[in-house]
Amino acid sequence: MAPLITVQRLTKDYHLTDRREGVLGGMVDLVRPQKRMLRAVDDVSFTIDPGEMVGYIGANGAGKSTTIKMLTGILTPTSGEVRVGGLVPYRQRQSYTRHIGVVFGQRTQLWWDLAVVESFRLLQRIYEVPEARYREQMTFFNELLGIDEFLHQPVRKLSLGQRMRCDLAAALLHEPRVLFLDEPTIGLDVVAKENVRGFLRQAREQLGVTVILTTHDLTDIEQLCRRIIIIDHGKVMYNGLLEDLRRGPGHKLRLCLDLAEPVAPAELQAACAHLPVEWAETEGADRTPVLRHCALFSRSETNAATILAAVLAAHRLRDMALTEPAIEDVVRRIYREGLVPAPEALG
Amino acid sequence: MTELVLTPWRRDRAATLRLYVGFVRLAFLKFLAYRLRYYTGVVSYTVFVAGNAYLYRALYASRPEAAGAEIGGLTLAEMITYIAVAWIGRSFTFNNIDRMLAMQVQQGEIAMQLIKPLHPQTVMLFEAVGEAAFRLLLFTLPIMVVVVPLFDIHGPPDPALYGWTLLSFAMALVLGSQLNFVVGCLAFDLKNINGVIRAKHISLDFLSGVLIPFTFFPGWFQTLVAWLPFQGLSYVPVTIYLGKRTGGDLWLALALQALWAVALFLFGRLMWNRAMRRVTLQGG
Repeated sequence: MAPLITVQRLTKDYHLTDRREGVLGGMVDLVRPQKRMLRAVDDVSFTIDPGEMVGYIGANGAGKSTTIKMLTGILTPTSGEVRVGGLVPYRQRQSYTRHIGVVFGQRTQLWWDLAVVESFRLLQRIYEVPEARYREQMTFFNELLGIDEFLHQPVRKLSLGQRMRCDLAAALLHEPRVLFLDEPTIGLDVVAKENVRGFLRQAREQLGVTVILTTHDLTDIEQLCRRIIIIDHGKVMYNGLLEDLRRGPGHKLRLCLDLAEPVAPAELQAACAHLPVEWAETEGADRTPVLRHCALFSRSETNAATILAAVLAAHRLRDMALTEPAIEDVVRRIYREGLVPAPEALG
Repeated sequence: MTELVLTPWRRDRAATLRLYVGFVRLAFLKFLAYRLRYYTGVVSYTVFVAGNAYLYRALYASRPEAAGAEIGGLTLAEMITYIAVAWIGRSFTFNNIDRMLAMQVQQGEIAMQLIKPLHPQTVMLFEAVGEAAFRLLLFTLPIMVVVVPLFDIHGPPDPALYGWTLLSFAMALVLGSQLNFVVGCLAFDLKNINGVIRAKHISLDFLSGVLIPFTFFPGWFQTLVAWLPFQGLSYVPVTIYLGKRTGGDLWLALALQALWAVALFLFGRLMWNRAMRRVTLQGG
């Protein structure tokens, strides 16, 4: 399958003006401004296939929004190229925007002072959605988002959660091929976030839209995206499956064992000495017998069954729990150390 | 590289028309939601016309030898009509496109305009028409109802001039909205254009002729403003109303007004395209 979105060596520079300190500095600024170049997006390349839902994540100021703005045709890149379905967003903006939907979590595309339905009616005219299709879409949106109850309220009176539901519907009314979501769950409560995620899953299934999602809430990513692209300081740090990132050698699973009788850590560790396992620190000394022991191991080196077999050979087990590495930890490590932990997963 | 799956797309003419009627309608509704704001406006416009009317009465009275005669080519009755028609017209053509655009640029809201298959300049033009329709019904008409009997304002010397005056004010609306769009585009470079807007308001009060008729000014000033676009905002329609422009003069004035409206529209396009190429949008 040919990719729908191709991004090649995309770069965006911003020119910033630094301010000197103090009154004197301010006067100097007037005569000789200090200009500085900031490379917000640095040589970014990736492709996205039709129907994919890809998480585009990075810390604040990493270059996420700048990339999204170039992909949506709002910003012109300094160099490099974006092609979406054969169109160049910033060059064929009018044609291109017909085929995309955009939600910026911090803004709204609805007409602030008017009833929600007025915005939808205008969007219908902008995108030439036939009346029958308009009704079908609105029914679909209402089933999933329950927007009928505030369709006749002015947008400014809606809660953030209600407004976001309307913005999502507005972005999908014209059945775009690509949906760009820039922090769609920002500021929402747990229930509202859950609604948004549920809707996105359904929308992708039923409308077959390709989705690019940026967010700071990694739960969004875990629940919605198979593939993620991590960007930091404008560069792509990781581009691959979320699953591979988790299974990478740098990321340990945690196996906690509750034994039937207290056992000294040293004793248990001796039983597993032949296995590549780290033991989480337990309270007290090595010699104090305790009930709970936690082993950290990497999937690429061993597995839970092998460890259990070794433990059960010498001790009686009452209970156990296996925990995946938290996605937050994995991503935090990438932000901090810039590691690309699973080279084999690089796409 | 990529297979072409997104087709280039253009709206047909009927759909375009429906769309822009949609913008006119939406702008009308938007201003309707804030109609209470305009009630005080009726009072302030009336007060302004009254202040000027008394000023000119005093001025004409201070020249007893010129009783019933003209100053700057206008009789007192014409002078008061000039002021009243100028302000009634202004209440119809005025808009804040420059301020709105600057605000959208400053706050990065302009991004939301760029994600739709529309040209913001065209959208704003039609929104200005919607705003003007609202103003005409709920602002200009109430002002007329108060001002016309209060200052005994007469119709134009020839009833046909009603039509030409209306046409000229309609062009003033387009011209003014395009001028405001150009000023608003300055926000891409300057970020804050409040000072520019204030300067614009003050200079336009003189250069459009809304405050004082050009005939009160020295000859060189009259020659200058005749070549500028600003007389099309007020001076041209008001002098048409007063019957000061007839025959070829009338046609020339209207043509010049239309020409300036088109020129400012094209200049606005230019400013906009330049801004799109090089400007950094605010916020992330």
